[in-house]
Amino acid sequence: MIQTENLGKEYDGLKVVDGLNLKVEKGDIYGFLGPNGAGKTTTIMMLLGIIPQTEGKIYLLGEELKPRNIELKRRIGVVAENQYLYREMTAQEYLDFFGEIYEIQNPKKRIEELLEAVGLKDERNKKLGAYSKGMQQKFAFVRALLHDPELLILDEPVANLDPNGIKQIRDLIEEENRIGRTVLVSSHLLSEVEKLCKKVGIINQGKLLVEDNMDNIKRRLTDTIIMRIELNQEANSLESALRQIPYVTTFNITGNKLDIRLKTDRDYRKDLSQTFVDHGFLILSMQTKEMSLEEAFMTITHQNISLLTRREN
Amino acid sequence: MARSGKITRILLKKDLLFALYSLGYYGVLFVSFFASSFILKSFLDGIREEDILVTAFPLNTYLSIIIIIISLYLVLVSAISISREKEQGTLETLSYGPVTPRSFLLAKFFKDFFIGIISLGFTAIYFYLVSSLTNIGFTPGLIKALVMGVFLVSCVVSFGLFISSFTGRVRSSIISLIAILGAFLVIQFTYNSLLGIEKEALSVPLFYIRQTLHYVFQGINWISPFAFISRGLDSVVLENWPLFFTNIVYCIVYSVIFIALSIGIMNRKGVKA
Repeated sequence: MIQTENLGKEYDGLKVVDGLNLKVEKGDIYGFLGPNGAGKTTTIMMLLGIIPQTEGKIYLLGEELKPRNIELKRRIGVVAENQYLYREMTAQEYLDFFGEIYEIQNPKKRIEELLEAVGLKDERNKKLGAYSKGMQQKFAFVRALLHDPELLILDEPVANLDPNGIKQIRDLIEEENRIGRTVLVSSHLLSEVEKLCKKVGIINQGKLLVEDNMDNIKRRLTDTIIMRIELNQEANSLESALRQIPYVTTFNITGNKLDIRLKTDRDYRKDLSQTFVDHGFLILSMQTKEMSLEEAFMTITHQNISLLTRREN
Repeated sequence: MARSGKITRILLKKDLLFALYSLGYYGVLFVSFFASSFILKSFLDGIREEDILVTAFPLNTYLSIIIIIISLYLVLVSAISISREKEQGTLETLSYGPVTPRSFLLAKFFKDFFIGIISLGFTAIYFYLVSSLTNIGFTPGLIKALVMGVFLVSCVVSFGLFISSFTGRVRSSIISLIAILGAFLVIQFTYNSLLGIEKEALSVPLFYIRQTLHYVFQGINWISPFAFISRGLDSVVLENWPLFFTNIVYCIVYSVIFIALSIGIMNRKGVKA
């Protein structure tokens, strides 16, 4: 659905996007992540044909994106980071206007359904200038979905929404994905990306560091895992023993519970269990502490960014 | 092509309705009719005193005043029409869909052009009423000037859109417009002042400045839309049909060139402010 080949953008000799090879398959909800200034919005603007690329090619819905290929844009829906609406129009006038632009046959039913889905049905005769930021954000979804696009491109789609609004939009995205729409989401709200996305691409300094499914991304973002262990008795006496173990990087003991950070170069659970048994302890439970994408993303810093680019064993 | 034309029509309908609902437009019409009526009253008082009126174009001067005021309004409105949508980001939103710079710019052109034509329609009604009330003839010369006005409006609007196409913000559009028109005026004033000095009285540097200004002035005559207004209205008074039609052709060529340049600039600069 979206494919870029060596996509690049340069401003005054500075490469903002460099050799980007994205691949979003049909039916994906693809999370596009990266720290501020990573090149996400520039990439999205290039995908939308708003700014031209300096190098590389973009393929959307199987066709190469070219300035004259306007018909392609009829098949894409967009919610951008900022909502630029005609403030002097009412919601109904605005949607009628876009309905005409996209040549939608009988748009009334579709407008009704979408306004209902985002909870703005009763606000349709209000001027858009009187809408709050959250309402504008939700309204942008109505415009983006009005023409039944095959592909949805969303840049920070829930940035201005309250928890209820976020849930409405998440449900809407999931519903639209269920009926076959492919979605590309760029967001800083990583918990949302985690809930929504099947596949994630992470960009930094204009380069795609990794493109993988969520679990693999989490695993690759760190070279350690945390084991949460419960023993049959207080574990303070284990402190010196744990310090001696080379694959244990850090640990925390609270009564009979331990959080132990282990290296991930191999499975150390058996060795660790043996150590506890050798010291007269019984293991009541042992589980890997799941890392949220938010926590994983927090680890994208300059010193550990190489973790993303390393090859998996 | 047909779809692009349809998009232009949809954008035009929206923009034209907004323009016609704007109070500013009617304010400008009122000011232009008021200024024209004020000067016309002095003229009528003069006729009453002299008891004689000898002119084939009794109302054309007052029509010129209205055309110039409307043109100043239109050049300003068109000069900010694209940059305002760039600044507000609404052009970017349109560009996510099937709206191209060409369809957008043509919609803006026709919106301001139709506003100009509607203004000329009101002007025709105004002069018909003046003619009925004062018994001063609604002459064919006035009709010719109104027809010429349609093409002059097209020049003014395309020039304004050209300025708007290379500026990204309303403020920079207004500053650029004032700077360019101001520069034209300063050059014209300086050149006319130097023309008033005898050739022998000019120092060598001043002579070369005058020569240079001569060429610059010739260039401005083909760039400034207000030079086209002056030439176009003169061609009506001169009662020279070939000159009249030549000026219409010049106006059309001027408009086409400036619109094409504006589309080219928009394609190159993109839709962001």
